[in-house]
Amino acid sequence: MRLVLVELTRFRSRRAIALMLLAAVLLATLFAFTTIWDTRPVNAADVARAEAQVERDMSSRWFKQELASCEENPENYSGPGATAEDCAESMTPRPEWYLERRQLVLDDVRNEAGIGLVVLLAGIMVIIGTTFAGADWASGSMSNQLLFEPRRAKVWLAKAAAVFVGATVASAVILTAFWAAMFVAAEVRGITTGASVQEAIRAEAFRGVLLAGVGALGAYALTMLLRHTVGTVAVFFAYAIAGTAVIAALPISGVGRWSVGNNVTAWLQDGYEFYDETIACRRGGGACDQMVKVTLEQGATYLGVTLAVVAVASLLLFRRRDIP
Amino acid sequence: MSETVIEAEGLRKEFRTRRGRHIVAVQDLDLAVPAGGVHGFLGPNGSGKTTTIRMLLGLARASKGEMRLFGKPVPRHLPEVMNRVGAVVEQPKFVPTFSGRKNLSLLARSVGVPSVGVDAALDRVGLTGRDRERYKGYSLGMKQRLAIAATLLKDPDLLILDEPTNGLDPAGIRDIRDMIRHLGESGVTVLLSSHILAEVQQVCDSVSIIGNGRLLAAGKVDDLVGAHGAATMRVGVADPAAAADHLQANGYAVTRENGHLLVDGPGRADQITRLLAAKELYVHELTPVRADLESVFLQLTKDATISAGAE
Repeated sequence: MRLVLVELTRFRSRRAIALMLLAAVLLATLFAFTTIWDTRPVNAADVARAEAQVERDMSSRWFKQELASCEENPENYSGPGATAEDCAESMTPRPEWYLERRQLVLDDVRNEAGIGLVVLLAGIMVIIGTTFAGADWASGSMSNQLLFEPRRAKVWLAKAAAVFVGATVASAVILTAFWAAMFVAAEVRGITTGASVQEAIRAEAFRGVLLAGVGALGAYALTMLLRHTVGTVAVFFAYAIAGTAVIAALPISGVGRWSVGNNVTAWLQDGYEFYDETIACRRGGGACDQMVKVTLEQGATYLGVTLAVVAVASLLLFRRRDIP
Repeated sequence: MSETVIEAEGLRKEFRTRRGRHIVAVQDLDLAVPAGGVHGFLGPNGSGKTTTIRMLLGLARASKGEMRLFGKPVPRHLPEVMNRVGAVVEQPKFVPTFSGRKNLSLLARSVGVPSVGVDAALDRVGLTGRDRERYKGYSLGMKQRLAIAATLLKDPDLLILDEPTNGLDPAGIRDIRDMIRHLGESGVTVLLSSHILAEVQQVCDSVSIIGNGRLLAAGKVDDLVGAHGAATMRVGVADPAAAADHLQANGYAVTRENGHLLVDGPGRADQITRLLAAKELYVHELTPVRADLESVFLQLTKDATISAGAE
C-alpha cells in the first residue's frame, strides 16, 4: 500500500499529467457549455432578432423578385394547381424559421455529447497512462526505483494501481461534473428526465469511467512493454484506427465484431448493432442488409481479454528484462 | 575471520546487440569484498565493472554464476538485503521535472524513511538550499551529489558507487572522497568503481582489478603495489656502464635511466652493494622503486589484453 501511495504522489506530481487532466476538464467544460448553449430556450431578444430578420428578408429585392416571379407562374414553384396566394403563403418568411432550436433532452445528450466526451476522455487517459510509465524509462529513474524496491512485480502492480485509480477518479470527477451541469440546466429549464433515462445515464457514465481507467491501464502496460511513450501511442492508435480498417477489409462475414471501435461502442452503449460492411458482403451485390450485434458482455470480454494479454506480457517481461 | 559482504563466483553475462552481435561482458568473474573499509573496483572502459554491479543489484540478469550480498544469494534474496545497500550506478537517474527534494522524498517514502532522513541526506551532501530546484536545472556535480544523498537515505551497510566523482569540481571531489573514507572508517563497506587510479589508491584499502570481464588481481592496495614493484632497485654509481655489466654478469636485469640503473632481480639491496663494492664501484644512491597502482593496473590490463587476443 505504501508503494501505491508513493506512485499516486508521483502521478499527481507529474506536470505532463496535470496538463492532460486540465485539457480533459476544459474539454468537458466545452462540451457542457456548447450543449447548454445550443439548447437554450428562445427568449424575447431572440424573437425580436428573428422578427427583424423577417423584416429585412421581406424588404429585400431578391424576395420581391422571387415572389413576383412565383405569382406570375405559381405552378412552376409549387406544382400543378398552385395559386398566387400559395406563393405568399410558402415564400413569406416567418420568425419561427429563425427560432428553430433543439430542446435539452438528456437522453439525446447521452447518445451524442456524452459518448463523444467519454471517448475523448478515454483517449486522454491513454496518453496519461503511457506518459506516466514512459517518463520513468526516458529518465532512467526506473533503475533508481528498483534499487529501493527490487521486487519488480510489486513495483509494476503499484504503478498500475496508481494509473488505474488516478485515471478512474479523474474521469469520474469530470463526468460527474459534466452530468451535474446537464441535470442542473434541465432542472432550471423545467425539463423533467425520466427515471429510466437517469438510470441509463448513470450506467453509461459508470462504463465510461471504467473505459477511461482501463484505457490508461492498457497504455501503461504497453509502455512498460515497449519502454517508449511515442511508440506506445503509435501502436495504440494504429491498433484502434488502422486495425479497424484492416478488419473491415477482411473478406469474412461479420468480422466487424472484432473491431475495437465496435466493441468499445458496445461496451458504452449497452450493446451495438451495425451493418455488415465486409468485402464478402459487398461482393454479394448491392447494399448489405445483414446486421451484426455485439452485446455489452461481448464488448466487455473483448476489452478485458485484450487488456489481460497486454498486462500479463508486460508484467512477465518487466520481471525478467535488464533495466537500463 | 571477517564477513564477506559481496561474493561472486563464476559470474558471466552474455547478450546480443540489436545487430545480433554476441557480447560477453563478464566471463567467469570471481569477486570477494570483505566487510568494512573501501574496496576499489578497477578496470578499463568496457571491462565489465558496471555490468557486474548491475547484476549484483538485480538490474541485469546473470547468464551464469552465483552472487551473494551479506551471505544471501541474489537476486533471489535481494529484497531481504536491499535495505542495507545504497548504490549509484553510472549516471544519476532521477525525474527531471521534479525537484531534488521531491525525487528523494519519493524514494524515501518507498522504503519508509521519514522526511528528516531526506533533510539529513541533503545536508550531508551540501544540497540544502538548492533542494527545491528542479533536477533538470542541476549541474552534473549537483546531480551526482543528489545520487549520493539517495544512497544515504537507507543508512546502508554497503555502498556501491560507480564513478561517484564524475563531474564534480575539485572541492566536490575532495568532499566526496573524504565522505567515502569516513564511511569506510565508520564500518560501512564501500565498493568504489572508478577509472581514476589515484582516487582508488588514495581512498581504498583493497582493490579488485578486472579486464575483459575477468578478475586480474585482488588484494590490499599496498600488497598489490608491493608485489609488482619491490624487486626493482634504483642504483646510483660513478661508472654506470661498468656497474651494469657487472650486475648483468651476476644475473640481474639492468636498464639505464638518466644516469641511474634500474636493477631487477631476486637479490636484496645488501647483495647489490656487496657485488659492486667488490669491483670498487661504490654506490652513492640505492632506493627501492615502488610501483604505483597505475603501473600495476596498466601492466595487468595489458597482459589481459594480450592473453585475450591470443585466445
